[in-house]
Amino acid sequence: MPFKWEVFTAASLVCYHPHSPGFNLPTLKSVSITLGALLLVVAIVLLARPNYVGVRAGRADENYLQSQDCKSCHEDHFNSWARTFHSRMTQEARPETVQGDFRQHNSFEYLGVKALMERKANGFIMSFSFPDGRTQTVSVDRTVGSRRIEQYLTRQSDQYTRLPLAYDLVNHRWMSLNGSFFHPDNDNYFQHLSQWDGNCVFCHNVKAQPHIDFKTKSFNTEVSELGIACGACHGEGADHVQEALSPLNRTLWHLDKDKPKLIVNPTKLPAERSMMICGHCHGQRVPEPYDLIQTILTRGDPYNAGDDLTKFYRPISQTTQIGKVSFANRFWQNGSPRLTAYEYQGVLRSKCFINGQPGKQINCLTCHSMHEGDPAGQITEENRTDKPCLSCHPKFSATSELVAHTRHKQDSSGSRCYNCHMPKVVYGVMSFHPTHDITIPNPAQTVTHQVPNACNQCHLERSVNWAIAESKRLWPTHYESIQKSDDKQFDFPEGPRALFAGDALTRALSADSLSGNGPMTPDSNWAAPFLVEALADNYPIVRFFAANGLSKQPWVVVKPDYLANRSQQEQLLSELRRLVESKFGEASRAAGLMSEELRKRRQDVDLEVGE
Amino acid sequence: MTDKRDHSWVRSAAFQAFVSVAGWLTFGLVLEGFLGYKMPAYLHDGVRRELFRLAHAHGTLLSLLLLLSALACDRFNLEVAKSGQVSLRVGVTVLPLAFLIAGVWHYESDPGLAIWLVPVSAVMVLFGLVTIVLSFRQRKDS
Repeated sequence: MPFKWEVFTAASLVCYHPHSPGFNLPTLKSVSITLGALLLVVAIVLLARPNYVGVRAGRADENYLQSQDCKSCHEDHFNSWARTFHSRMTQEARPETVQGDFRQHNSFEYLGVKALMERKANGFIMSFSFPDGRTQTVSVDRTVGSRRIEQYLTRQSDQYTRLPLAYDLVNHRWMSLNGSFFHPDNDNYFQHLSQWDGNCVFCHNVKAQPHIDFKTKSFNTEVSELGIACGACHGEGADHVQEALSPLNRTLWHLDKDKPKLIVNPTKLPAERSMMICGHCHGQRVPEPYDLIQTILTRGDPYNAGDDLTKFYRPISQTTQIGKVSFANRFWQNGSPRLTAYEYQGVLRSKCFINGQPGKQINCLTCHSMHEGDPAGQITEENRTDKPCLSCHPKFSATSELVAHTRHKQDSSGSRCYNCHMPKVVYGVMSFHPTHDITIPNPAQTVTHQVPNACNQCHLERSVNWAIAESKRLWPTHYESIQKSDDKQFDFPEGPRALFAGDALTRALSADSLSGNGPMTPDSNWAAPFLVEALADNYPIVRFFAANGLSKQPWVVVKPDYLANRSQQEQLLSELRRLVESKFGEASRAAGLMSEELRKRRQDVDLEVGE
Repeated sequence: MTDKRDHSWVRSAAFQAFVSVAGWLTFGLVLEGFLGYKMPAYLHDGVRRELFRLAHAHGTLLSLLLLLSALACDRFNLEVAKSGQVSLRVGVTVLPLAFLIAGVWHYESDPGLAIWLVPVSAVMVLFGLVTIVLSFRQRKDS
């Protein structure tokens, strides 16, 4: 002990000796000045720090940030998100965002109304000339959608209205939205004019707040950010960013990946809770309790990513009814969803989910990723294969097991998991998509519940009764109880049967399959006469898919216009019938007879797809 | 007090400065080469690119600062505290190296852990400069 005191005393004398080259008085001065400068730097930096918490105090999006705020630390994630269609879901209409043709092929006539779409110096406009001589010009202020169709919003006083025309980005043409929904031809040009503020805003943007005044029926809509941005999946970010301002905190986060970062990471949530983030929009819902609608339309959507969705909403199902409005038509008769934006409901029904280990069930992120893969589907190339299924069902990695299971050749479309267990029977935005109700195919359900079956999605030239017989033959135990139908329509080839005898959605699906967009492409010479007959359908959406299929035929010089007026359609139909008769002779006559026979069995139900 | 100051520090500091300038200028040439040959690991990594540039710029400029300091001490016959000498020389060496290493291994949008050496070495440089400044005053008083 005494020794240590002597060392300390000697050191002190050295330090405080005026001519010592070590720690002397000048050195202490240097230390003091340096520390003073350092404190000044620290004070300036700390005082100049931004504040993110509560910047919109009192609002529903109080602690939400813009995606640009995330970019400075998460540039890779920002860039991977920015290339997705989610990021461009809703945009201000500017030259760099609008994809529709407002310059060259910018006119469209439908139901006698002539529309002209123009780009002006100060923005975009749509002008309508009505048969009675009236004209109307509206500004195009926002766009909705950027992949298949681009819809347009105009701001009128306090709210945004969706215009009746949209631009088909796949076929590069203007269209009426009448052509994308399941309604028969009618004279209502404005049938799909709709209000954005109280409806579309919730799923196409982050943290929508309509601020409706129920007395005046006016809106003062705000969103945290247009489009589906970071906050939609990661929730509030202000606390996270505020903590991340400190380089020390960030270093600790880097060193300990499990340290709470005050923000939602969907990949780290239990499966069911993670799926609710996507299900908030990809699972149409109603408020629960229903009175919550008042809060939703005023203060805004109460749900934040990571919350228990069931505290605010319940998913719409086949039995959901609000007043006189039933949602049953959005589902196949067996309860399986048949429209997009019901993927959440589909997964919840799937045995893959129901039988999964709690917290680790199959969920959206099993196959999809916001930050990886092709933006078309948010899915990597690898996950488009059987890989996601094989992760839980590895037995079928072996060729022998796969072939024994599918009863199809290994490399055929019949041996792809998705084709049988997630067939494309769901309609959305002018296209058909895989169902998310993962099931075992059952052709008998086409008879009992009018549900398209996976077998006949490939075997369009075979009947449902054939599929039932084959299923019983190949899997006798599993299909022991199913029976062929006595209804003669199910002896017809299923492609044409569904094309003419099904309801509008079934007919549209069949037209799409016969066009070669199913898992197997039918003989186009066999399918073409049926597609020609489908042009006689009184639902524009059915004609759309038929026209798409016919445009692939080398002998169809001009693509049929599914929105042409009745006389033009009839003329086109006559011409095409003559053409197919000259090319295919008896086959075309047989197709005509079959279509007449099957049309007698048609039962249509108009489908409201979300408005 | 003697008039003869210790010039050995000046000589070794100047030597260190020239070596350091040469080294960081060469590194600058390397960066030009990376740019010229479109090296993806450099061009497509914004964090790395920024940190390598910072390393090159700080390394070169601080080396010149060290040289200037040494020449000033020699010219004005300054008696700089050893702590200041060491601090300046170590700071000038470590600071640009810290940028460089933090750019080689880094996190998404954040430098690597070596970045923590930057403020530490910057304070050391500052301390060294302050001791030089104070040695002017000391010389004036003596």
